[in-house]
Amino acid sequence: MTTVSGKAEARRTLQSARSDVLRKMWEHRADYAYVLPAIAVMLIVIAYPIYYTIELSFFNTPPGLQLRDKIFVGFNNYTAILTSGVFWQVTFNTLIWTVASTFFSFVLGFAAALALHRDFVGRGVLRAILIIPWVISAVAASYIWKWIYHSDFGIIGAILVELGWAERPPNFIDSVSTVLPSLIVVNIWREFPFAMIMMTAGLQTVPEQLLRAAKVDGANAWQRFWHVTFPHLRNVSTVTILLLAVANFNSFIIPWIMTGGGPSNASHIWITHIYELAFGRQRWGVASAYSVLLFIILMTLGYFYVRALSGNERKDDSA
Amino acid sequence: MRRITVGGAVLRGAVSTALTISLMSASALAAPPVDLSKWSPEYVRSIAGTQDFDTAGDCAKVTPLDYKGRLTFWYQGVFEGDPDLLRQYYKDFFATFRKTYPNIQLEEQALTYNDLLDKFRTALLGNAAPMAVRLQILGGTEFASKGYLQPLKPEDVGYSTEDFWPGAMKAVTWDGVTYGIPTNNETMAFIWNADIFKRAGLDPNKPPATWDDVVKYSKQIHDKLGIAGYGLVARKNAGNTPYRFMPQLWAYGGGVFDEATANPTYKDIELNSPQSKAALQASYDMYVRDKSVPVSALTNQQADNQPLFLAGQLGMMISHPSDYNVMLDLQKKATGTDKDKAQTVIDNMRYGLIPTGPDGKRAVVFGGSNIHILKPEYVEGGKVDEPAAKAIICMWTSPEWSLKMAYAGSNPGNLNGFKTKWMKERLDSIKFLDVTTSMLPYGIPFPALPQSPEIMNIIVPDMLQNALTGAMTVDQAADDAAKKVKDLMGGGL
Repeated sequence: MTTVSGKAEARRTLQSARSDVLRKMWEHRADYAYVLPAIAVMLIVIAYPIYYTIELSFFNTPPGLQLRDKIFVGFNNYTAILTSGVFWQVTFNTLIWTVASTFFSFVLGFAAALALHRDFVGRGVLRAILIIPWVISAVAASYIWKWIYHSDFGIIGAILVELGWAERPPNFIDSVSTVLPSLIVVNIWREFPFAMIMMTAGLQTVPEQLLRAAKVDGANAWQRFWHVTFPHLRNVSTVTILLLAVANFNSFIIPWIMTGGGPSNASHIWITHIYELAFGRQRWGVASAYSVLLFIILMTLGYFYVRALSGNERKDDSA
Repeated sequence: MRRITVGGAVLRGAVSTALTISLMSASALAAPPVDLSKWSPEYVRSIAGTQDFDTAGDCAKVTPLDYKGRLTFWYQGVFEGDPDLLRQYYKDFFATFRKTYPNIQLEEQALTYNDLLDKFRTALLGNAAPMAVRLQILGGTEFASKGYLQPLKPEDVGYSTEDFWPGAMKAVTWDGVTYGIPTNNETMAFIWNADIFKRAGLDPNKPPATWDDVVKYSKQIHDKLGIAGYGLVARKNAGNTPYRFMPQLWAYGGGVFDEATANPTYKDIELNSPQSKAALQASYDMYVRDKSVPVSALTNQQADNQPLFLAGQLGMMISHPSDYNVMLDLQKKATGTDKDKAQTVIDNMRYGLIPTGPDGKRAVVFGGSNIHILKPEYVEGGKVDEPAAKAIICMWTSPEWSLKMAYAGSNPGNLNGFKTKWMKERLDSIKFLDVTTSMLPYGIPFPALPQSPEIMNIIVPDMLQNALTGAMTVDQAADDAAKKVKDLMGGGL
C-alpha cells in the first residue's frame, strides 16, 4: 500500500513540475518568439553541418567518386585514424602547439599587463604598440614571418651571419625539429596582446583600497600580488586561458601559410591536417571523423569555459 | 520485295547527306596543321607567320557576335612568378572578348594554380561552380571521372581534334569521351648562370649533360662559391614540385606508374623501383649530403628561386622561358648596385635541354591547361549558358589567343598558333623560346587518372620531404610513397 501511494505521489509531483515548466514557458512566450529567428539560423548554419559531418564520418569518399556516391564504412574511418601514425604525430603537435602557445601567450600578456598597469610616461603609446601584432592580419603576419625566418635570405639568419654568430643561416622552418617551435613563437607574438588586454581589464577591477591596506599592513610587492591581486584575477585568467586554448586548438592560418604542415608533417596540427585531408585529398569521410573528434574535445573545453563564466556570475551575484 | 516509301527515301537521303557532310568536316578528314615529326627550332621558325586567322569571324560561326547571355568563368590566372607581359595579355583578352561579344555579361574570376583545385572542388560540392573553367592539365580527369563536366571537343567550338597536341588531348579524355579543350601546353628547360659556372671552374657554355652531373655541378658551385648550386623545390601542395622532380624521376627510368612509356597502363606502381629510388637519392645527395641546394627548398616554390637566381645566389634551375622576362621585370624594380648585379646575371643567363638520366633518357613534364564546361546541376542557379561558354572557349583556344595567352611562359594549345604572325614576333622577342620548344617532344603528360592531383601534389612531395628531412631513409620514403599510391588506387581510406 505504501509503495503504491508513494508512486502515485511521485507521479503527481512530476505532473505538477511539468505543468509548472509549461506555465513558465507560456508566460515567457514573447521571449521565446524573440530568440526564435536566432535559433532557426543556428539550426541551419550550425546544427545541420554538425549532423552532416557526423553522418559523413561513417563514409568512404574515394577521389574518383562524387560525394553523393560515398560508400558506408561504419566506424572504419575512426579506426583508420586511431591506428594511423600520422594521427599521433599530428595530435602530439597539436598538444605542443596549444599548450605552449597558450601558456607563453598568457604569461607574456599578464606580465605586460602588470608592467603597463603602473602609471609612467609613454604608457599609452607602449600599450598601443604592443597591440599591433594582435590587430595585424594573421595572413600578412604569416608571410612577413616566413620571410623573416627564410633559411636562405631571412633577416634573422643574415644578422646572425653578419655578426659572426653563425656560419650559415639557421634553419627555422625547413627542419623537422625547429619548425614547430618557430611557428609557436609567431603565434605567441600574435596572441599575447589579447591576454594583455584581458588582464589589463581584470587588473582595473582590483580594489585600490585593498592594495593600500595590504601595503599599510606591511605586505611586500609579491605578497600584495599573490594575496590581493591574483585572487581577483583568477576568473578572468581562467576565461583568458580557455579562450586562448580554444583559439589555438583551432589555429589554421599561421601553420598553413608558413609551412602547409610540412616539412614531413612536422608542423601539421589537427585543423591543417583536416583541411588537407578534405580539400587536398578529398577524404571527406576521414576529415569528418577527425572533425567529430575535434568537436568533442572543443565541446569539453567549452563546457569548462561556460562553467568558469557561470562561476563568475555566481560570485558577482553573491557579492 | 521491300517497298520504299517517299518519306523513307527522303529520310535516307537526309541521313546520307548529313553523314557525307560530317565526314568532310574538319574532324573527320583533318590532318594536323603542323608536322610533328619534323619538330625542331628550325621547323618552328619556318612555319611562324605563314598564316592569318580571323578569330572573331571563326567564333561568330560558333556563337553569333550579337548573342545575348551571361557567363560565369573561373580560370587559372597569372601569379607572382609570371612576367608583366603575360598580365597585359590577360587584360587584353578579356577586353577583346567584351568588345567582340558586347552582349555577353562575363563574370570572370582568376585563381592561382595552387588555390584553384581546392576552391573548385568546394564549389562543386555546394553546386556553386562556374559555368566554364580553365584548369591545370592535372585536374581535368578528376572532374570528368566524377561526372561534373559536359562532353566538349574541339569540333564543338569550330576546331579539329588534330589541331591540338595528341598528349594534351589524352589529358582531357576519360573513358573514351573528350571533356575539354587544351588552351596551352608547355615543357620547361634547364637554366644556368654562365658566370657562376665560370667562377666555379665549370664550362660556362655547357649545361650538365646528366642528372648525375647536376649533383656534381651543384656541389662544385656550392663548395667553391658558397652559394646554392641547383634550385631544388620540394614544397607540398605546389605544382612546382612535380614539374621539377618528375623529369628527374623519369630520366633515371623511374615513374609513379609506367606513364613514361608509349602506351601507359597505370597498372604497376614504380615509385619504389630501384630507378625511382636512384632519382630520390640524387635529391637526397644534393640536399642532405652535399648541402648544395637552397636550405629553404622544402618550403620554396619556383617564385622563391627567381630572386635567389637574380641575386647571383643560385647556379641552376628548371623553368619556363618566361623566367627570362621575370628576371627583366625584377631587375627593373631593383635599385642601386643591385640593378647592375641583376643585369650581370641576366646577361649570363643560359637555357639548355633538361639533363638525361644515366641511360640517356631525357624527359620533361608535358604541362598546360584545359578549358571545360560544367553540367548545369553543379552550377550556381542550375543553368549553363552554353553559347556564351563556347564563345569564350572558341576565343581562348583560337590560334591567336592560345598563343598570346601563352606568350612568354608556354606554347599555344592550338597548333595553328605556331603559324601566326605573333609566333614569329614571339620567337624574335622571347629569348630562349626555341630551347623550351625543343623540349616538347620529350614531354610526358601526368597520368590521366582522377588520383593524379593527390599523387603529384601530396604523395610525391611528401616522399621528397620524408627523405630530405631524415624522417625516413630514401628507401623507406619511396616504399611509403608507393604504399600510399597503392592504397589510393585501391580506394582505401
